[in-house]
Amino acid sequence: MIITSRRLILGATPALIAAPALAQPRWPVRPVQLLCPWAAGGGTDAVVRIIANLLEKELGQPFNVINRTGGSGVVGHAAIAQAAPDGYTLGMITAEICMLHWQGLTELTFRNYTPLALMNNDPPGIQVNVNAPYRDVGQLAEAIRTSRPGQLKSSGTGQGGIWHLALAGWLMAMRLPANHVRWVPSNGAAPAMQDLAAGGLDFTTNSVVEARAMLDANRARALAVMSNERLGAFPNIPTLKEAMNIDYATGAWRGIAGPLNIPAEARTTMNAALGRVFRSAEYSEFMNNRGFGMSYADADGFARHLAAADASLGDAMKAAGLARS
Amino acid sequence: MEPFLEGLRLVLATDVLIAILASAVYGLVVGSLPGLSATMATALLVPVTFWLSPIAAIATIITASAMAIFSGDIPGALLRIPGTPASAAYTDEAYALTRKGQAELALGAGLWFSAIGGIVGTISLMLLAPALAEIALSFSTYEYFWLALLGLMCATLVARSSPIKAIASMLLGLLIACIGMENPAGTPRFTFGIPDLLGGIEPIPALVGVFAVSEVMRAMAEAEPPKLPRRRFGSILANQWFLTKKYQFQMWRGNFVGIIIGVLPGAGADMAAWVSYAMAKKFSKEPEKFGTGHPEGLVEAGASNNASLASGWVPSLLFGIPGDTITAIAIGVLYMKGLNPGPTLFTERASSMYALYIIFILANIIMIPLGIMMIRAASTVLRAPRSAVMPVILLLCAVGSFATGNNLFAVLLVALFGVLGFVMEKNGYPVAALVLGIVMGSMLEQNFVTSLIKSDGDVLPFFERPVSSFLAALTFSALLWPLLAWIWMRLSRRRSPA
Amino acid sequence: MQVTDRITGGVLVALGAAAAWFGSRLPAVPGQDIGPAAFPMLIGFGLICCGALIALGVGQSFEAPEPAEPSSAPKPRLGAVGVIIPPALLLFYAYASETLGFLLTAFIMVLVAGLALGSRLSIAIPVAIGGPILVHLAFAKLLRVPLPQGLIPAPW
Repeated sequence: MIITSRRLILGATPALIAAPALAQPRWPVRPVQLLCPWAAGGGTDAVVRIIANLLEKELGQPFNVINRTGGSGVVGHAAIAQAAPDGYTLGMITAEICMLHWQGLTELTFRNYTPLALMNNDPPGIQVNVNAPYRDVGQLAEAIRTSRPGQLKSSGTGQGGIWHLALAGWLMAMRLPANHVRWVPSNGAAPAMQDLAAGGLDFTTNSVVEARAMLDANRARALAVMSNERLGAFPNIPTLKEAMNIDYATGAWRGIAGPLNIPAEARTTMNAALGRVFRSAEYSEFMNNRGFGMSYADADGFARHLAAADASLGDAMKAAGLARS
Repeated sequence: MEPFLEGLRLVLATDVLIAILASAVYGLVVGSLPGLSATMATALLVPVTFWLSPIAAIATIITASAMAIFSGDIPGALLRIPGTPASAAYTDEAYALTRKGQAELALGAGLWFSAIGGIVGTISLMLLAPALAEIALSFSTYEYFWLALLGLMCATLVARSSPIKAIASMLLGLLIACIGMENPAGTPRFTFGIPDLLGGIEPIPALVGVFAVSEVMRAMAEAEPPKLPRRRFGSILANQWFLTKKYQFQMWRGNFVGIIIGVLPGAGADMAAWVSYAMAKKFSKEPEKFGTGHPEGLVEAGASNNASLASGWVPSLLFGIPGDTITAIAIGVLYMKGLNPGPTLFTERASSMYALYIIFILANIIMIPLGIMMIRAASTVLRAPRSAVMPVILLLCAVGSFATGNNLFAVLLVALFGVLGFVMEKNGYPVAALVLGIVMGSMLEQNFVTSLIKSDGDVLPFFERPVSSFLAALTFSALLWPLLAWIWMRLSRRRSPA
Repeated sequence: MQVTDRITGGVLVALGAAAAWFGSRLPAVPGQDIGPAAFPMLIGFGLICCGALIALGVGQSFEAPEPAEPSSAPKPRLGAVGVIIPPALLLFYAYASETLGFLLTAFIMVLVAGLALGSRLSIAIPVAIGGPILVHLAFAKLLRVPLPQGLIPAPW
């Protein structure tokens, strides 16, 4: 049954894409593999699969998503960087590529990739229990300033994870020590949000989309979002800049990249195709339904983003005592 | 009544019914392949749901996962290859029945009591979702710590060997769970510079290795057992009706325990079967029969397992907190299709909610005829010569574990765990306890360490919160019970020398 | 591979000691009083205790001896040496499948295992051809697992 439905889809697509396929004769001429360093069913997997579906329509060749998991993302990221540079093995890289090497867990950095496009960015929010006394982020910031070091507790992911760094970066932007609030490591955002609702934590700094259901259930309240602009899916949450005039933005971003030295036509074709994918109605509908943040940069912009993110995440990790060396 | 009828109309649409039937067959096939889990079956369906209507999309996920979890018990019973860490609790029991020539009874019990558990769990979801959700939210890290400890103690209760060897196996599992950087400190431990070990040891390759590969290894050294005489067992269901009457109390207890444990995110699915199997043995009138092919534990654990799956949807649907990897995937699909989890799903979109309930019930009902067909078909494996079946199983172990992450390192792990499981079994160390240790290890450490971080190193909250004090008392009484029983036995023996 | 409890107990004591020793050398983490060292050390000490008790024979009385299954069927041709074949074949799969391709690797694997289990060539060869083809159809076509093509790519 599954096979038949796939055949139908594959059979139907060539008619739709015949025109663009003729315009791009040299690449791709056979199926392309898109590696995903995280497990099937997760957020990164969902984003890479919708991109693969839309690329298939754009370029007329199957884009097969392969989840290459293991080693906290190291294995999959390494597989993308070490793939044959023929343009037929690409993949999705995530914020972890700018964090793992600072911890001394891999030699890989963003310089081992040909960036193609930034496709998504989920900024962290600041969430409190619905019964917490803080009405806005300014009151919470004041409570943090007047607390003993380590008195307040926050969570959202594991030790040294992206949301831990978001907390460290926010505290440093307030000119406080990066570990002034005690980080409670959790096994992802969901248990942290559960513990927040159960009254075990003072606030969480995981992404707003991960907090969404608890916000909808009126068990938690969002005070601010650490991004430059308000989120399309959550227009009522102020940015840090608006709420307390702090210029601090970060996020868990995802982008498409390939190994170094892929053919020029693969790079230019993908650059243009990913732009069209990002602007397509299907992509924005999917991302908005899932609550994922829409954020785009073309190949050059993604390269600049990677360099900036690598530096700022490195600073946060050093300040929080999480970087090796 | 209005929303219910509307929900019924949503489900009875042609595309939804086709989706249910197709995903049922798909789930049964994928789940029965050794090494492939229900999670894998569900994850692979996600791209397909892009093209389906919202109700049909959710129906495929619900149906396929329920079917895959049941059919994961088929290789467990026939070949001693459990499909999930949960079914590892009773794999040996079901396999013992198979060796007594009663494979249909073992699998039929799995099917029948799974379906009942699933339906009872769904009814509890319909009637009690808000109350059950409060249970989930009253569990903080302190309570989870006690729960993990209680779960681990089941390993010693279930084992049919020396309790010290069971504890040693469990500790070995806990040590294996230490590998990697997925610990509260985020520090790589015991990785020996191998990047593949940074993420830790996945339970599936370990499970496949210690059960399936070690079974193939045993076959290499031992003579083929005599073929079972071919017998007809009559109706699979008639036998189950007899078991239902005989073990009715155990069945309800299993359902109840499964519903309660199932609503706890992150703990439920894996623990319910273990706790229920241990309870069945502990309170049984004939505990000595456990492990020798006795259906009592299968009844209770099977009922508990599937009840926990249904109630595991409560935190997912109300708060978007996944109970396990399957509901994590389902939450993604719910959002994608605009059925956002939250209390409004129960009020504003009540008809969709009723549609989900109806799909749950429907899936558990069609599971019975489809499952019977699957059992009849799969049982032919038992009549094939061992030298033809075992090599293909070995191949499935390799491909199935590779498929979990498309990573050949998993195949090496399977080989390694095969050797470990073989050596352990030969020397009387229960491998099920090892698996339980691997599964529960990170939960135990995570909740212990984070609890102490939150309390600034104070141990009092472990005992003073209402639920945690109850769980602590339960843990200590379970811990001290064997000791007290032993002392009492000694004393009474001395008083009346036989 | 059946050895005395003295040996398995001793191995557990050594393993526990190694775990505790390597665990104790893990660095502390800023902001956490209980670092990554605590759990491995605790488990290590537990293993040392259990290992010692097992080596001393405590708890032996609980063990039910496995019922020996009398069988008149002939023993597999390799005897006890055969047990290393399954893990060896898995290693072969892990290292050879990328170059040889799935179908050829699986053919060799199933054939060798079948022969080692005492199968006749007239059965082993059809199984070694048919099994991998069915597995490839299920995994590569139905489940879209990227099985390597190698020397003999699948014709479908």
